[in-house]
Amino acid sequence: MMTELIIVLVIAAVLFGIGVYGALSQTNLVMIMMGIELMLGAAMLNLVAFWFYLHPKTFSLQMFVLVVMTVMALEAVVGFGVATQRFRSKGSVEVEEAADLKE
Amino acid sequence: MNMERIIFLLLFGSTAIWFAWRVFMTKSMIRSALSLLASMVAIGILFLVMQAEFLGVLHIMMMATEMTIMAIFMMMFMMDPGGMGDMDMSHQKKYSSVFAFLSGASYAAAILFTQWPITADAVPAPAQQNHDLGIELMQRSMMIFETAGVSILVAMIAATATALSFNSVNK
Repeated sequence: MMTELIIVLVIAAVLFGIGVYGALSQTNLVMIMMGIELMLGAAMLNLVAFWFYLHPKTFSLQMFVLVVMTVMALEAVVGFGVATQRFRSKGSVEVEEAADLKE
Repeated sequence: MNMERIIFLLLFGSTAIWFAWRVFMTKSMIRSALSLLASMVAIGILFLVMQAEFLGVLHIMMMATEMTIMAIFMMMFMMDPGGMGDMDMSHQKKYSSVFAFLSGASYAAAILFTQWPITADAVPAPAQQNHDLGIELMQRSMMIFETAGVSILVAMIAATATALSFNSVNK
């Protein structure tokens, strides 16, 4: 059982690392959102693994998975709202062209 | 140790990792969106392998919708969504790789050096899980669940207000 838990957690760790790489290395707003989605996916995988291997009778972990899914949807909604506004005003969703936001 | 489950975990885990890596390695934005969808479906299947059937199916359905919308937005916003122009849309690769490796490695180290208190409890049957999750959501965690609902409403209003054009606001 412990080997199985470690396998799942290591898979989640690798997914999280790839998500961090994507969020930091991409210049496009939508691609950055994809990196964040991967990190949240890794978090959900952890929660389900903790539920299954550690606390199968307690459902607060499954409830937290639903909360993380909500966070994923919120991130997508707000990200696309910002992307639409940037595209309307600047014609691009490249973050390297978003230096004007700090002015 | 359940060998069958380990094989499925390794198979779909490596599928999820492979497609997650492909997301950032392809020049085509549409392929990126579809690779992310494949990775998320593999994560959903891992949920199913761990007997969280409701969450697994919910995750796959939600990601299928979300990635389709993401692909549509990419086609709207990108100059080269198909990757035919061979544009490079990444920066600070070295710094990102080092930071990603450090975060992933410290995460893995925390996993490997923790003593996990495995319990031998049997997982409830799917129907019982749904019942217990419903009771959890409507009793002990009701406030958290309601907060998530209100957050969705706020995000919808905020995103619509943000996306409106300045001209339509001024009229």
